[in-house]
Amino acid sequence: MRATRGRTLSQRQAALVLLAPFLLTYGAFLVYPFFRGIWISLHDWNLLAVAFNPDAKDFVGLRNYERVMWGRGIVWGLAAPFWQGLGLLGLAWAAVARRRLGKGTTLALGIASVLLIVLPGFHPGEGGRWYDRRFWPTVGNTIRFVAWTVPGVTLSALVLAAALNRESRAMGLLRTLFFLSQVLSVTVVTLIWQIMFSPRQGLIANVTEVLGASPITWLTNEQFAMAAIVIATIWWSLGIAMILFLAGLQDISRDIYEAAALDNARGVRAFRFVTLPNLKRTITLVVVLQIILHFQVFGQSHLMTQGGPNDTTQVLVRYIYQTGFRDSELGRASAMAVFLFVIMGAFSVIQFVLGREDAS
Amino acid sequence: MSRTSHWLIILLAIPAFVWLVPTLWMVSLSFQPNEVLARTTSSTAFGLVPLPFTLDNYAALFRFGQTPWWFLNSVIVSLGMTLGVLAVSTTAGYALARLDFPFKRSVTALCLIGLMVPEQAVFIPLYTMFADFGWHNSYHALILPRMAVPIGVFLMMQFFRGIPKDIEEAARLDGVGWLRIFWYIMLPLARPAMMTLAILTFLYAWNDYLWPLVSAQKREFFTITLGLASIQSNFAQSEGLGRVMASGVIASLPVVILFLIFQRYVVQAMTAGGSKG
Repeated sequence: MRATRGRTLSQRQAALVLLAPFLLTYGAFLVYPFFRGIWISLHDWNLLAVAFNPDAKDFVGLRNYERVMWGRGIVWGLAAPFWQGLGLLGLAWAAVARRRLGKGTTLALGIASVLLIVLPGFHPGEGGRWYDRRFWPTVGNTIRFVAWTVPGVTLSALVLAAALNRESRAMGLLRTLFFLSQVLSVTVVTLIWQIMFSPRQGLIANVTEVLGASPITWLTNEQFAMAAIVIATIWWSLGIAMILFLAGLQDISRDIYEAAALDNARGVRAFRFVTLPNLKRTITLVVVLQIILHFQVFGQSHLMTQGGPNDTTQVLVRYIYQTGFRDSELGRASAMAVFLFVIMGAFSVIQFVLGREDAS
Repeated sequence: MSRTSHWLIILLAIPAFVWLVPTLWMVSLSFQPNEVLARTTSSTAFGLVPLPFTLDNYAALFRFGQTPWWFLNSVIVSLGMTLGVLAVSTTAGYALARLDFPFKRSVTALCLIGLMVPEQAVFIPLYTMFADFGWHNSYHALILPRMAVPIGVFLMMQFFRGIPKDIEEAARLDGVGWLRIFWYIMLPLARPAMMTLAILTFLYAWNDYLWPLVSAQKREFFTITLGLASIQSNFAQSEGLGRVMASGVIASLPVVILFLIFQRYVVQAMTAGGSKG
């Protein structure tokens, strides 16, 4: 017995051996790059210049952040009455209904409202301008994309999940059909939809032509380009939301529905008064998840519209990619990447907190 | 089955068919001759039925063009990444779930924090690192960065935590070392979880776009996902619509087959990956 013990590793040694591969790759390809990204964002760093001469970078402190997000003569005021008004409303709501909403929700609502009041208020004053005219419009486009896609996916997935939540062969087949597009790659999705939307060859144009309507130039029309990308994305990513909702629905006990049926709540009424309240947590989770996922949109914009027409579908990750790899401005691109990380991080924290509450 | 169910199925079959149409159309176009497609894409039933029918597009793919080569690259990269992630995640997941060692809580926390870092936040520094090493345009450049995904460790850790401790304790009493317990007892038990993680990783690897786009600049190191992007911008002029669609079908085939065979695991994997990372 002793001899065997002597040859085996202690618990600590075993842990070290088992953890080493992960810690090495994790440190080298995630932790280190993360900090290196912040470091690059503090430099004037031209991709090509530094490639030829590693010393060709200048430390510029926070200048890159200033050049991306700030401008000359920026003032604060009621520049966006709608959003700032919405923020004030949110703040008022949080104050009035804080008992009913609970601590966490009130806090989240309060923070969101304050941000809504403060952030859109910044704008160039007289004679002033943003240093980077494209950055904030790009962020705006990204938010617009998220604002259309997330409710679109969530609502359709919710309705489908509620309808498909029955055990039978046919229902299983239907679920498979709705989920199938989810496993395709972004380039296949954009390939399909580019041609679907084509005014000359597209299926949509072919169908509308029969119906007597003139074809829409979806991808090159400023009014429709964003809609086209949103439609393709909803088609692509409905499956995962539907599956998460189905998982949530399975957790609702049959007894509640039977009790509700005794009170004459069936079909739509049961959905409204039983399903929705019991699914609240899952809905929040799916929404936060989708926000994180779709804020990182890149391929759809890059391949379907090339950010156009006239920058109307330019999104944040594509702008980072272009600034870094077309304009070779790695410093500025990294500053934007850090901005992206901060936003994603905030939503990840929300997701994490929700997941925790879920588990407990 | 009740009468309402029948109506519901018929009612749902319509949106399900609409949902399937884009994919069906791609498949159908890939079986139609390029000369016809240049004239019209709606020969029979809006082009959803492949008449006139031909296999020329697929034959052409294998004779000219780089699609088979890109396909092979994707297979190598995806399998490599899957094996790598499995190796790294099972070992670390077991250690974090079951072994006692200093700084355990800190390591676990570090792993959780890593879940928050999106790929897009680190792809620029990763690019400069790999450029410094001269590693771009290689398989390991496409594989290595993706092995540091903490979601796998997290999934395996959760799985190992759920296995009863007495199995291990009995083995310990017999003087079996920790590494042997891991290899001979824990890994076989973890097969379903490993399957889920493998499928999640494979799908992710096969469909990854941003990192291959910056790392692989030479066409011979393109993955099929990246290669497809490179031919779709000028599909009509150069290769013909039918051939590009055939490439799209070939690019989707492995993931679709994987999905249809292992549907349960795929759904599980996506749910796990979705709700936690």
